[in-house]
Amino acid sequence: MENVLNQVLLHKNNRVGADYSLWKNGWGGQGLKNAMEHPADIISNIKDAGLLGLGGSGFPTHIKWQAIADQTNTEKYLICNGNEDEPGTFKDRVLLEETPFQVIEGATIAALACGINNVVFYINPNLKTCHEVMQSALAKWLASEIHNNALQQGLNLKYTIVASSGHYIAGEETAAIESVEGKFPFPRGKEPRPTTSGVNGCPTLINNIETLCNVPHILRKGVQWYRDLGIGEANGTKIYSLSGDVLSPGVYELPMGTPLTELIFKYGQGMLVGKQLKAVFTGGPSNTILTEKDLDVNLDFKSVSERRSALGTGAMIVVSRGTGIVKRVAQYVDFFAAESCGQCPACKTGTYYMSQLLGEIDTGKGSKADLDSLVDLCNILPGGGRCHLLDGAVKVVDSSLYHFLDEYKEALSDDLN
Amino acid sequence: MTNNISYQEAFASYEAVSERPLPEVNYEGLLEKYHPDYFKDACVQLKIGPNKGDICHIQLAEMLQADARIDEADLAGAQVIETDILIIGGGGAGCAAALTAAESGARVLIATKLRLGDSNTVMAEGGVQVSIEKDDTPQQHYDDTLRSADRPVDKELVAEMVMSAPDVIRWLIQQGMQFDLDEYGDLLTRKAGGTTAPRVVYFKDYTGLEMMRVLKEAVRSTEIEVLDYVPTVELLSDEDGHCTGAVLSSLEDNRYKLVKAKSVIIATGGIGRLHLNGFPTSNHFGATGDGLVLAYRLGAKLRDLDSFQYHPSGLAYPQHLSGTLITEGVRSAGAYLLNARGERFVDELLPRDKVAAAIMRECVEGRGVDAGNGIKGIWIDTPGLELNNPGIFNARFPKLIKIGKKSGIDPRTQPLLIYPTLHYQNGGVIIDKHGQTNIPGLYCVGEVSGGIHGRNRLMGNSLLEIISFGRRAGIHAAKYSPRKPFRKISIEHLSRLRRELMLADMPMDSKGPILFPAYAKFETDSDYSGLHKNKKSK
Repeated sequence: MENVLNQVLLHKNNRVGADYSLWKNGWGGQGLKNAMEHPADIISNIKDAGLLGLGGSGFPTHIKWQAIADQTNTEKYLICNGNEDEPGTFKDRVLLEETPFQVIEGATIAALACGINNVVFYINPNLKTCHEVMQSALAKWLASEIHNNALQQGLNLKYTIVASSGHYIAGEETAAIESVEGKFPFPRGKEPRPTTSGVNGCPTLINNIETLCNVPHILRKGVQWYRDLGIGEANGTKIYSLSGDVLSPGVYELPMGTPLTELIFKYGQGMLVGKQLKAVFTGGPSNTILTEKDLDVNLDFKSVSERRSALGTGAMIVVSRGTGIVKRVAQYVDFFAAESCGQCPACKTGTYYMSQLLGEIDTGKGSKADLDSLVDLCNILPGGGRCHLLDGAVKVVDSSLYHFLDEYKEALSDDLN
Repeated sequence: MTNNISYQEAFASYEAVSERPLPEVNYEGLLEKYHPDYFKDACVQLKIGPNKGDICHIQLAEMLQADARIDEADLAGAQVIETDILIIGGGGAGCAAALTAAESGARVLIATKLRLGDSNTVMAEGGVQVSIEKDDTPQQHYDDTLRSADRPVDKELVAEMVMSAPDVIRWLIQQGMQFDLDEYGDLLTRKAGGTTAPRVVYFKDYTGLEMMRVLKEAVRSTEIEVLDYVPTVELLSDEDGHCTGAVLSSLEDNRYKLVKAKSVIIATGGIGRLHLNGFPTSNHFGATGDGLVLAYRLGAKLRDLDSFQYHPSGLAYPQHLSGTLITEGVRSAGAYLLNARGERFVDELLPRDKVAAAIMRECVEGRGVDAGNGIKGIWIDTPGLELNNPGIFNARFPKLIKIGKKSGIDPRTQPLLIYPTLHYQNGGVIIDKHGQTNIPGLYCVGEVSGGIHGRNRLMGNSLLEIISFGRRAGIHAAKYSPRKPFRKISIEHLSRLRRELMLADMPMDSKGPILFPAYAKFETDSDYSGLHKNKKSK
């Protein structure tokens, strides 16, 4: 069987760091070259390829792109979102550190397709190496022949690298816009959507780093090639961040739709010695739980959602038997409570209250009434915030209640018998 | 191997005389051929961890590459204690750190494996090096330390240590420690092997015991909290790799306790109870190298893991006292070492590694004394010293007289049989001048740390080191800890350890740290089954 690991985004041709000539001698610039020849066809190519937002939403990329392209403003922005701050997710860091030219090329093609003239690389300040590598790579890009050719053909882009605030919430689309404008990353209310009014009131496209990295390859090798990469109905590849109680945690780029069992037991080399799989927190904690019976699931957006779960960022945190689910969930909800920006009352008080209840239950002090309150909150809270932080916090609690209700009950202080 | 001369025969031919000239001695290849550090097969390369690829003593390597004792599930429901600074180890270094940290306003908790003061500090007999004599300088002290180290050392640490020495002594006196004084009340000094000036200040032949008495009382009279009988089985860390506390196992109620701390200072001492190369040891019961294992797992870098000190004069006979230390002070006062024929064979005041190797050479080449049951050794000419300095034992070496009583041998009339004893771990965790390791929030002080002694430690530098760096670490940790918030606690680093072990194809049947020597028989004692097993049950 051919090797399907790291065949596109994390292929060695791309992983050259800030070495321009190495990158150029590989596949560098071919996607952009094709795009420049037929700029009007880019969006339809992306559409036909079926590229989805890989930052967690799985939203079709071409819809956003078309919305921006349809705007007639002279100033438009692209925010390349590298805020990555979710526990368990570490794919964008690898892309920024090791494949900076792939990121820049992808962003340039997106800008070309949508008539964008300002490209912002929006990167978490804690990822210091990413900043250094991107700065160095960008300087080389601006001095390169590729950039010169683009200039001559009228593609005059302004590239900037912006450090995000480093908060988890700063990765939310409208929070990122606020942040780029130099303000605290409070998510905005929608409408207006960023596609009509984003940075400085201009139409703004926000794409995850991994999404953008796929673009040059679709243009380089064609739509059909990209579609064939995926397994079943899924297209392309996905970078999975595997962590937890496995022998070889790390980032693995595999065909979209690779079964969970293959990721854990083939690429992750199985569980740590003496451990047995109990559950997998998918997509980082703002998503949900898969259990042992879901090991056969294909890891693509559709298949995972059919298991009452979500693929999210492709993070898979494997926990073994002996790990308390209530404790883990309590830790995640603590994270959300700490990261809530506090502007929406439901989120500010809801995450805090959930974290208190979970803490009580986890330490054996919770009562039946506490558990009932927790269940009620899972029904009341969703949709109560401007952004998805609150919904994410509820989702992980809700999912754990669905799969591990017994564990919650066992931890209660009152005698249920 | 040539047969040595029997105890009876050698003793019959022994005679106390005042003058014994030193014959010409050949020192060429002495260490390489006879010192245990150079034994073939004594060392292996480490396969995992921050020192992967480095040379390490085989027994230590086995410990550093052992599986952890605990798992996530063991910690469920464990009691959590919070403190600013956790100090692991209740010997001299730990107490000194605790005292200065508490004085600087930090909340301090000392966790000891046995009881406060059960340590190698009390075993140290000879004294403390400090350049206070008129003709002596810290520079000379520095030069002596470097010269005898016989391997590159961390010069900054040595400089800090020698410069702080006078202040260390002043502080100890302020705490109430006694030293032997001359008739004017000035500190008496004596010369240590391998040094250029008399520089060791002392209190009889139990300087360390006196030091520990004072430090222990000082700790007891402060707010410092002390937990006895709680061996530390693991450190705690957060996702950024900071050290955030430790897991203690209580010998009293057989439960784990979690200590959440802003800084952790490891002061667990040495490794003698591993009996490297089968040697007896002068070390106390708890010296099983726990601190090295804990720090290494968290990612702390170590150094000089192939180098240990074998003190030349450990008692060899009678067997039940084997390994008991006879202070270097006896040699520095003028006692000779004699082989079975009554001849001197080494300059007694050379650095310890050379003297120890010379003793082993005598025994290998058939000039040693054979006391039966595999016991061998050479004489330390205590009657000769008494002859030249009548009354010196009563006045300056009361502990030795006591050892003599226990052995049924009066050292004033009968020479003692000695053989090198495993005494000190020369290397350890790499630290900076504040005792900080490369792991944020983790300090190491005393014997567990490395960098000062190279291949050979000078007499009196260990008692100096523990107080000098103990105090510095306490002050530094107190200055930077209380302002910080508590960090998360986890044992996630154990997953990394287990991953490395599996990927390196290492056996995972032994567990560390070992906490107690094998002959402690905790394995068969049902009270401790579970918590303190060293091997996985089959």
